[in-house]
Amino acid sequence: MASLPARLGALLAGGLALPLAGLFAAPPAANAAPPIVIGTTISETGALATDGLYEIKGIKAGVAEANLHGGWLGRKIVLKYYDDKSSPGTAVRLYQRLVTLDKVNLLVGPYSSLVTIAIAPLINKYKMATLEPGASVPSIYVPGNKWNLMNTADSTTYLHQLLPLAKQHGARTAALLGLESAYSLACYHARVAQAKQLGLKIVYRTTYTLQTDFSSIALAIKHANPDVVLECAYYPDSVNLVRALHEQGFAPKFLGETVGPVEAAYVQALGPLANRVFGNTGWWFNFKTPGNKTFIAAYTRMFHQQPDYHAAAGYTAIQVLGAAVQATHSLDQAKIRHWIVTHTVQSIQGPIHDNANGRTTGAVQDMVQIQNGVLKLVAPAELAQAPVLFPYTGH
Amino acid sequence: MRRRRARRAGTARREGASEVGTLALQLLVNGILLGGLYVLVAQSLNLIFGVMGVVNLAHGSIIALAGLFTYWFSMRTGLSPLLVLPLALAGGAAAGAAGQRLLIEPVMQAGAKAGLLSLIVTFGLSYVLIELALQVFGSDFVSVPYLQSSWKLGALAFGKALVVAGAFAAVMSALLYWWLNRTYSGKALLAASQSPTGALSCGIDVARVRLIAFGIGVGLAAAAGVLVIVIMPVAPQTASDLTLLAFVIIALGGLGDYLGVAAAALLLGIAQSVAGYYLGGNAEYVLPYVLLLVVMLAGPGRFRRLG
Amino acid sequence: MEEATGERRGEPGLTLGREAAAERRGRRRWQAGAALGALAVVAAVPLLSTGYLLQLATDTLTAIILAYGWNLISGFTGYLSFGQVSFYGLGAYSTALLVLHAHLPWYFAVLASGVVGAAAALLLGPFMLRLRGILFALGMLGLARILGVVFNSWGFAGASLGLSLPAELMPVRIYVATCLLALLAFACNAFFVHSGFGLDAVSLNEDEEAAAALGVPATRVKVIAFVLSAILPAMAGGLVAWNRSYMDPSSAFNSSLDLQIVVFVLFGGIGTLWGPFLGTLTLMLAGEQFGVAFPDLQLALYGVVVISTVLAFPGGLVGLANRFGWLMRPIVLAPKTLPAVVPPARPARQGAAPVLEVRDLTVRFGGLTALDGVSLSLRRGEMLGIIGANGAGKTTLFNAITGFVRPTSGEILYFGEPISRVPIFRRAQRGIARSFQIPRLLPSLTVWENVVLASRHGRQSHRAAEHAAWVLQTIGLAPMWRDPASRLTPGYQRQLEFARVLALDPELVLLDEVMAGMTREEQEAVRGVIRCLPEYGVAAVACVEHVIAAVSDLCDRMVVLDFGRKIAEGAPAAVLTDPVVVRAYLGEPL
Repeated sequence: MASLPARLGALLAGGLALPLAGLFAAPPAANAAPPIVIGTTISETGALATDGLYEIKGIKAGVAEANLHGGWLGRKIVLKYYDDKSSPGTAVRLYQRLVTLDKVNLLVGPYSSLVTIAIAPLINKYKMATLEPGASVPSIYVPGNKWNLMNTADSTTYLHQLLPLAKQHGARTAALLGLESAYSLACYHARVAQAKQLGLKIVYRTTYTLQTDFSSIALAIKHANPDVVLECAYYPDSVNLVRALHEQGFAPKFLGETVGPVEAAYVQALGPLANRVFGNTGWWFNFKTPGNKTFIAAYTRMFHQQPDYHAAAGYTAIQVLGAAVQATHSLDQAKIRHWIVTHTVQSIQGPIHDNANGRTTGAVQDMVQIQNGVLKLVAPAELAQAPVLFPYTGH
Repeated sequence: MRRRRARRAGTARREGASEVGTLALQLLVNGILLGGLYVLVAQSLNLIFGVMGVVNLAHGSIIALAGLFTYWFSMRTGLSPLLVLPLALAGGAAAGAAGQRLLIEPVMQAGAKAGLLSLIVTFGLSYVLIELALQVFGSDFVSVPYLQSSWKLGALAFGKALVVAGAFAAVMSALLYWWLNRTYSGKALLAASQSPTGALSCGIDVARVRLIAFGIGVGLAAAAGVLVIVIMPVAPQTASDLTLLAFVIIALGGLGDYLGVAAAALLLGIAQSVAGYYLGGNAEYVLPYVLLLVVMLAGPGRFRRLG
Repeated sequence: MEEATGERRGEPGLTLGREAAAERRGRRRWQAGAALGALAVVAAVPLLSTGYLLQLATDTLTAIILAYGWNLISGFTGYLSFGQVSFYGLGAYSTALLVLHAHLPWYFAVLASGVVGAAAALLLGPFMLRLRGILFALGMLGLARILGVVFNSWGFAGASLGLSLPAELMPVRIYVATCLLALLAFACNAFFVHSGFGLDAVSLNEDEEAAAALGVPATRVKVIAFVLSAILPAMAGGLVAWNRSYMDPSSAFNSSLDLQIVVFVLFGGIGTLWGPFLGTLTLMLAGEQFGVAFPDLQLALYGVVVISTVLAFPGGLVGLANRFGWLMRPIVLAPKTLPAVVPPARPARQGAAPVLEVRDLTVRFGGLTALDGVSLSLRRGEMLGIIGANGAGKTTLFNAITGFVRPTSGEILYFGEPISRVPIFRRAQRGIARSFQIPRLLPSLTVWENVVLASRHGRQSHRAAEHAAWVLQTIGLAPMWRDPASRLTPGYQRQLEFARVLALDPELVLLDEVMAGMTREEQEAVRGVIRCLPEYGVAAVACVEHVIAAVSDLCDRMVVLDFGRKIAEGAPAAVLTDPVVVRAYLGEPL
């Protein structure tokens, strides 16, 4: 026991010595061709860590790929990133640090719309053209936030193919659920409007806060007896809803959930219950986009896991930045921004084109279905790996 | 613009009388099963508080760690996660006893301030354990696919995982009650909790009693973790939510009152089940905290006695 | 601490030693120098940088404000709150909504946030502060959760998307505003350390009931502390919202922000003036660097810091400094020397009503009847002895008269006025003083503060100090007036208990076994004081005593209680030979 305080003391002393060293340390000496530094923060821990980790790995793969081809403008590319702990407040401070202390050359946005909204004022102030692979809420991309540049399909397109598909196969009623968070509510409202437009009767709808007990919601859904159940969610609540529906003995003909199903843990956690669930993705393995095979190979080699669409979005951000820097031959933020909103980049996700507000136009998210434990792309038709299977049976 | 309430159209109005009865029964069943989960999560925290007056803020991180370990074990070996139960009980008890001796016992000597100091120590411990879980198991939510369906009794469905968890919780509560009220060692524990000096003068080794209580409490929390991971996805960051939930339940049930906590957990479960059905998810989520404030402010005098 | 003890300097010790005074002056100068240096650093920050360093400084100052706010209610007053973030969030949203919809300039909006925080605390305080200990902590946490859900689904406040404000970033002005607010926060804490009000607050932390019996208006004091500790985070929240141009429910009502603040304050030293500042400064800067160097381990570092602080140095950084005599807490309202003063003369009350009249008093606790229809009265100038076996209801009778228990039925009249519904502290202020069977001193406070706490109410502070000095000299505690109460021997502790009774300047004195466990000499001293009580303006005395011989000659009358009933009353000699009484005492030789 006696030595424990001593050791803690040593640790503390170390902790106190660091700030002085860190605050006043001289920047690395400049040489002939200093590297281009890209700064970002990522939710490595906290509530959004699962998807955030995919995104940062995608960014890393993008940087590695660019360096493999000699970097940009003949300079090596270095990634500098911090953990924002899924916290908007922490992210604001860290971006301030990236811009003013670390003096990075280029910025990539954080994961999640929420954190992105928080840093938007800062981005605007410093006029940094920031690629946003993880912020899919369209309301971010307005004239006031012109330095935020989207490079992925927005969240109102998540699972937009499911309701028409179900209607085509005879569905008449739908139950719609949305988690109280930025992206999921945008998705939820879009699907509610779509159901009305299609003439599907919404027999149950609710928004909810992150919770563990879905038995009552599942029971209410069972009594409403919809043909389609569509939930705009994050991973934990998507798993909880499927289990609760099964426990209450209800299986809708079509069951779709956003974000959750494409994660590897989903099939693992639900086993047979996951069979025939629909999910969304902005990118897929069989895309015939330029560089897609390279991306998959590089990512798998670097991280010993399969990429997902968050990883692809991260990779795309680096692709778009690289294209802009190389086309403009400069690191001038205004030039880079202008180039991005006036050109189309052929990314691994497909063509990325931003409008004057920085919102990606034309891009939509595609739909996958879990078939016997394997994710198969089922929409759009021209890329479909397998025909849609229905009804959902719950086993 | 946006409905905050759940809306059901058509079918609800067409329900016959018997269907309404079935619905009411099913809501009751769901509520009781949810209550069973709450007992499982809260009872060990209650034991530690009841005997030692210590609020163990590391409670949730113990549950999460045990759950994540269960996931790892089950995925690695393909065996039933329930096999981890005895290991979790024993390992948790040993770790709990060690932790109590090193971290909690030193502050128990502080007299009136012991409650506050132990609160702070376990708070620090929770940070360390969460970080440990992050380092070892990563930050992903995981869940073990096991006992996923339900048993049917007529028109009523009983979720299997929840039934198992509830049964474990019931047996645990009954054993605790029996032990504390009917056996010598249990009575010694209760005596020590009510008057440490008095117990000391009766020849009870109070420090040892605390060691046992904390060990058993942590062992049971770890066992709860094994069952929780089967019921819902857990990640290291779930820990503080679990602690808070357990805390709310034992406060509702009257801190240290084993039967009261079981009753409060069941009532809360039923209330949430009904609220979730008729008012939607947000109402269900916030209900425990509203009830907590209402009960504490308007409720029984026993709350004011505790300082 | 040591130099303050009078006995060590070998004289009665009413004045400070010259060396000690010089040392104190030196220390003052040193502290003033340090404060000036700190100010210079604060002023230099915006000159050095307008970017990251300025933001870090602003964030650190914000955390210091939150720490100081938390310290008021949880450190001084002792109500550990895990939900002050509720006020931070309310303030943040108030500023955001006022800027967006009322188009107020940001500084007015931030001030208005303070008003909103105060109003919320004023509404909630009387209810929430009925809870104690962990229940208060938990209740506040629940409150933050509820607010989080409300704002997460409230469309007008942007629901889960939060509110974006016009992005006018003005870091230097916000930094200056934050500095000013931090100064205000420091001033609030300094007020708590130096003032009689702060003494009241600290006394609640130590023993709320005992403090009330000394005339401390507990509810008012803690609600004021709560309101102050809500204004600071509310304004800080407003500043943060404006600075970030953005606020959302998950950052506004995030309990982990509170938990972080708890860590900072504990590390620095809870309930001290400099602790929140030092703890926050150290951990924010170390944590920032540590977080950048080892992002995965920052939380674990906080955890380890907290555990090691509690186990190895419970007083935090300030506690460590105290060991070297630095950053000591000043003694509240302490004069340089104890003034020698004459006893106060109180004009006698007019009227013929008895001092105390108890009519048919019954007190039940659940099924147990502690007092059963007891009636008695105390005339002016009278001393009443109350005797009886253990559990006879003697202490319950005192508790009912002083307001600690509520009578089930019956009436209590004080100078003819019913007082059954008057709160404890007001009874004390109106002149009903009691001692406790086991002394309930406020152990971490000095002897002086224990006394001045009681003498303060209803007096201007210099009169209070004179009165306290007189009490200490009369009781014979003057030599150790600067010692902490916890260091007194048991005999002196009883004398201090008695001194506090006298400090209230009472008209009715209730003594609960003041002589138990005293040596014969100590008993004789106390008896001397009791005899003098009428001279000090005390109209009547009632005493409960086991050492019957020690009081029988002092008493004019005696009342005997047995199982809650009055079984005998009359002159001491007659009562003590009454066969009923003798039987009740089972032949105890009298």
